[in-house]
Amino acid sequence: MASPRYSLLRTLIPFDIYGGMKLTGKYFGKVLRQANRGLKRTHVVVEYPEVPTTLMPRFRGRLQMIKDEQGEVKCVCCMACEKICPTQVITIEKGKKEGRKTPFPIRYDFEMERCIFCEFCVESCGFDSIILNHQFELATYNREDFSHAMEGGFQNMFDPTPVSHYSVSSED
Amino acid sequence: MEQLLIKLGQYMFVIFGLLAVGGAGVLIFSKSAVHSVIGFLFSMICVAGCFLSLQAEFLGVAQLLVYAGGIVVLFLFVVMLVELTKYQEKGIFQTQTKFAIPLVGLGLLAFAGVFRTALFGASTNEALTLQPGLVGATENLGNAQAVSRGLFANFILPFEILSVILLVALVGAIVLAKSERV
Amino acid sequence: MTPTLTQYLVISLLQIVVVMGFVMTLVPLLTFAERKVIGYVQVRLGATRVAGGLWGAQRGRTHQSRTFTGGLNGFMWWLGRWPVISIFRGLPMFIADALKLLTKEDIVPIEADKAVFVLSPALAMVAAFTVFAAIGFAPGALFYFPAKFPYLGGLPFYGFLTDLNVGLLFILGVASVGVYGIVLGAWASNSKYPLLGGLRSAAQIVSYEVPLTLSLLVPVVLTGSLNFNEMSTRMATDIPVNGLVGIGRTLLMFVGFFVYTTCGFAETNRTPFDLAEAENELVAGFHTEYSGMKFSFFFLSEYASMITVSALASAFFLGGHYLLPFGLQPTWNHFFQNSPSAFLAWTCTPSILWFLLKIFFLLFVFLWVRATVPRYRYDQLMDVGWKFLIPYTLVMFVIAALLRYAA
Repeated sequence: MASPRYSLLRTLIPFDIYGGMKLTGKYFGKVLRQANRGLKRTHVVVEYPEVPTTLMPRFRGRLQMIKDEQGEVKCVCCMACEKICPTQVITIEKGKKEGRKTPFPIRYDFEMERCIFCEFCVESCGFDSIILNHQFELATYNREDFSHAMEGGFQNMFDPTPVSHYSVSSED
Repeated sequence: MEQLLIKLGQYMFVIFGLLAVGGAGVLIFSKSAVHSVIGFLFSMICVAGCFLSLQAEFLGVAQLLVYAGGIVVLFLFVVMLVELTKYQEKGIFQTQTKFAIPLVGLGLLAFAGVFRTALFGASTNEALTLQPGLVGATENLGNAQAVSRGLFANFILPFEILSVILLVALVGAIVLAKSERV
Repeated sequence: MTPTLTQYLVISLLQIVVVMGFVMTLVPLLTFAERKVIGYVQVRLGATRVAGGLWGAQRGRTHQSRTFTGGLNGFMWWLGRWPVISIFRGLPMFIADALKLLTKEDIVPIEADKAVFVLSPALAMVAAFTVFAAIGFAPGALFYFPAKFPYLGGLPFYGFLTDLNVGLLFILGVASVGVYGIVLGAWASNSKYPLLGGLRSAAQIVSYEVPLTLSLLVPVVLTGSLNFNEMSTRMATDIPVNGLVGIGRTLLMFVGFFVYTTCGFAETNRTPFDLAEAENELVAGFHTEYSGMKFSFFFLSEYASMITVSALASAFFLGGHYLLPFGLQPTWNHFFQNSPSAFLAWTCTPSILWFLLKIFFLLFVFLWVRATVPRYRYDQLMDVGWKFLIPYTLVMFVIAALLRYAA
């Protein structure tokens, strides 16, 4: 720290305020020169509706089911996700399908309006058949539209969320 | 139009004076203490206007700066922080009335005595004008210069005595207001 | 050609319209500049668009799943392609701000003292705007009306409203009345937070008025005048009797500028000293209960007094209507007065341009400081005022008197 000899000088002349002003002035100048859509830019703002955002890899968006290479549903109805879900938003109905050894979910319902995006379901899944994707524009105009099912309805578990007029994300 | 403007300039003193009296009326007759202070402030600003209309611009602006800007703020502080309602119940203000009326009458008489030429005499305009010659300044000096020459050259001793009296009042206030612990 | 009284009145009214128009446009622009400057300092972009659904947004076209808006917002988006021009994105925001304040509901609390509640914003506003009567934006005539101009042909249009010979005192006196707007508004709201904020603010303004006035005494002593135009001209162009006095003057003006600006920040309740509206402890300070037009009166008066402080600082310490600050202009004039280059010779003459540029720079400094310096605590504020600034200004005052004696 400053010795007593300098502390008087620091009292009389506000060096620290000068240092702070220099720092902020530097950033002001930099951003003023580079506040455009060029390649080089200092500012950290993403102009979101027009420019797509890049999300962090572990971002937890909407629940989505995954199909394997043959276009077959990977889920085997072990019910782990349904059991572990703290808000009980997942409902699975076990069934059979021609030419498939493992059980096939004839119903997989997901009520997004109560989902807390905790990712327990994905962690509990032993077959990597569900993920939380990177969709974050999940708003809808009706409460019913939050219900996701395998087929039919407004949204299904395989397709991305239908985007609204403004909605854009990096995934689609 | 021209005549009207010139006359308006002449009657400015009267207008400001009446407004100042109005402000003083608000000061005395209003129920709320803060309204009284606002009336006082208005009165002070109008007195400054009176000075300005007499071409004593230094005094006018000093009035604005010292009274309106400084002293009335402190009054307002005291009035806002002190609870006046409990004094009103005790009737402290009413006990002073019988002493106050004769004193005010005496003050009015003294005022009339001092300014009798201004009030009743013929030389009304002259008495109401600030004369630079009064403080030993020549005519072409500005207002501020005339006042400062008067204060710091011709009447330096009374000025200093006045400041010492004010200092005494200040020290006395501190001694009275200080609590017992040292 | 001297104007008759009526002509004089007409010219005065025109001047008032011009000055008030200047201030009234500068204030909303300043709020926009505040968003932008603070945004840029904090590595953000500030306001970049306006009028979401009103113009163009519905007519937007989608291209590869990105939506581009047309109309006004499309123009804003297009402006963002260039570096410095992109600062003007979001400029219509100031109109939107003004419209919002004009159309907001005007709420008066039921327990408030109605008359005082209405009076105090007006008082703050009147005090902040009357000050401009004594500020000289240009030392002499700004221009002359052309001879064919109806009724006013050949008459001068001055750059100042009045040429009071106690102009500086007038400014200080009227500006000191502005504190009533804050205190009375705080009291009339009949609410705890405004009262605390108002008391803080009043104590702050009353105690910082002392160093402010003392620091302005330095130019008064150096020039021996109280007239705004004469002071600013003489502070810029007085030729010192010898080098030592010249250096002393320059140093004194340099230090005085910083001291005066610091006190000015406190007088206008701006950020390092904005304890009156410390939102984490006092909600919004004295204007917590105010809304709509009454709030915007307080708002306008704060920004107008910022302009006043900037004008005073640039007139008395930064060389006023001349190019160079801190009394360096005579040296410049000595070298370039008879220079063959017309431009260099022009820099030796007074111009309203320099004055306005200095005002704009100081307003930028106000915003810059707001983005940099954190708020002082109340006891620190009083310490800075009474233990630091007042002794500093007293020493400066004595040095100024010595310089005056030497000259």
